[in-house]
Amino acid sequence: MKQTVSLIPAPTVIQPGGYVPAAYADRGTPRTAQAEVAVEAAGKGWKITLSWACPKPVDDIANETDKFIDACAILAPTAADAPWMTMGAPGQAVEGYLWRPDRQEPWQIHAEGLGSVRRGAAAGAKAQGAWSQGRWEIVFELPEWAALERHRQVALAVWRGSDQERAGLKSVSPGWLSLD
Amino acid sequence: MKYDIPKSDRQVSMVLDLNKCLGCQTCSVACKKMWNTDAGTDYAYWNNVETMPGKGFPADIHDPDTAGRNLAGETKRGKLPSIDTGYGRAWKFNHQEALASTAQPVKVWIKPKEEVKWGPNFDEDEGKGNYPKDNHYFYLPRLCNHCTHPACLDACPRAAIHKRKEDGIVLVNQDKCHGYRFCVEACPYKKVYYDHVRQVSSKCIFCLPRVEEGVAPACARQCPGRLRFVGYRDDQDGPIWKLVEKWKVAIPLHPEYGLGPNVFYVPPMSPPQLDDQGRPTGQPRIPLAYLESLFGAAVKPALDVLLAEREKKKRGEPSELMDLLIAYDWNDNFKLAPRHREVLA
Repeated sequence: MKQTVSLIPAPTVIQPGGYVPAAYADRGTPRTAQAEVAVEAAGKGWKITLSWACPKPVDDIANETDKFIDACAILAPTAADAPWMTMGAPGQAVEGYLWRPDRQEPWQIHAEGLGSVRRGAAAGAKAQGAWSQGRWEIVFELPEWAALERHRQVALAVWRGSDQERAGLKSVSPGWLSLD
Repeated sequence: MKYDIPKSDRQVSMVLDLNKCLGCQTCSVACKKMWNTDAGTDYAYWNNVETMPGKGFPADIHDPDTAGRNLAGETKRGKLPSIDTGYGRAWKFNHQEALASTAQPVKVWIKPKEEVKWGPNFDEDEGKGNYPKDNHYFYLPRLCNHCTHPACLDACPRAAIHKRKEDGIVLVNQDKCHGYRFCVEACPYKKVYYDHVRQVSSKCIFCLPRVEEGVAPACARQCPGRLRFVGYRDDQDGPIWKLVEKWKVAIPLHPEYGLGPNVFYVPPMSPPQLDDQGRPTGQPRIPLAYLESLFGAAVKPALDVLLAEREKKKRGEPSELMDLLIAYDWNDNFKLAPRHREVLA
């Protein structure tokens, strides 16, 4: 599967707590409007390439208090009806991989709803990111991924650090994208 | 979804008498040596002492409309301080060069290696006014207010911040924190800090391991000015209730932020201005409007009570308030009791 995806802003109104929905109510447009994604089987695993325009990359926030780093994530549902927008729900988990340019390896992530994301080492997974001429291109080399194999759906999230995006401030795919 | 902030069974609290603060920073050092020695907390002061009038720390935190809650209780958008312009980076000094110069013909003095533009206490003792007629400043020690309606708690999308039911202490669970820093944004007092090495938020924990043993926080115990009082707000035999509720001389900093701070200040009674001949005019040096900009409208009645009680004491009449503030017996400043330790699941 290879396609260009128009992204939407993750709605701030559903974010947990009283602060983000009120303070960031004005985030009505996606900071990253579009991404290209290619998913292909690679042996028993997967090769997923994700790219998007990013004029002002932020790849290092060491020794800073007010800067946020670029990032992207790719998700798959572990249950057929797992909602992607809320990072799953109790009993309907989503899982995936999170890339950041300041890390050697991607994180493996698991969530059952907003605010429940757990990050951990991603055994056997690699992610290589490169920024060139106003674009990030990230290549994930992932091991066998049962959720993806079974449901054949992915969802995307992109964080633009220069716009202080983090957590629920992000651009996401408008739903699950089918591999078929 | 807005977090419910359950009412704590009790609220541990602190009162600081600004008439007694020397600006010696013993509290800051005691706190920093105990809690903020990691590389990512170089710039962080869970407790700091600011010279007022001044820019505060981080810079400009006393400017109006910096986060907090509106009248409806909703949180307002705040700002993230920059480490350069808000906090100031830890400066590097020429220690090696200076120490090695002792046997040299020309002494090399210890000085920062780079041009310094801002940092904690950068404007220390500057103050305002015209010397010597009406110049003025006072010291304002600050720590987390362990608010009744904490904005930091509301701001965390991971519910990593909680307010302890047994004593109202506000804590960050750093195992859950992902370093998003909404809490730093939302706190108008800027008393949540970001550890950029561990990439988690950190804040004053009111020295909870000490409080659980019935011992006051390090900033309070180490204060040579004996200006800090620690106890529970509802303890009518304790100093907090007497100063806050009974005498109403201890008032919160920036009550307009709407967070219900649980750290209170006895406002400074400034000496009189002088006239052209150097005679006292009777007018206070610190403008009342300035104090009101920090402590709200309650500052005037608080000062009136303090002045009246001081006059009583001068006349040889008894004053419970003055005796309490004088702190003849330092142990009376602290009224805590050992409690069971919290065990996190």
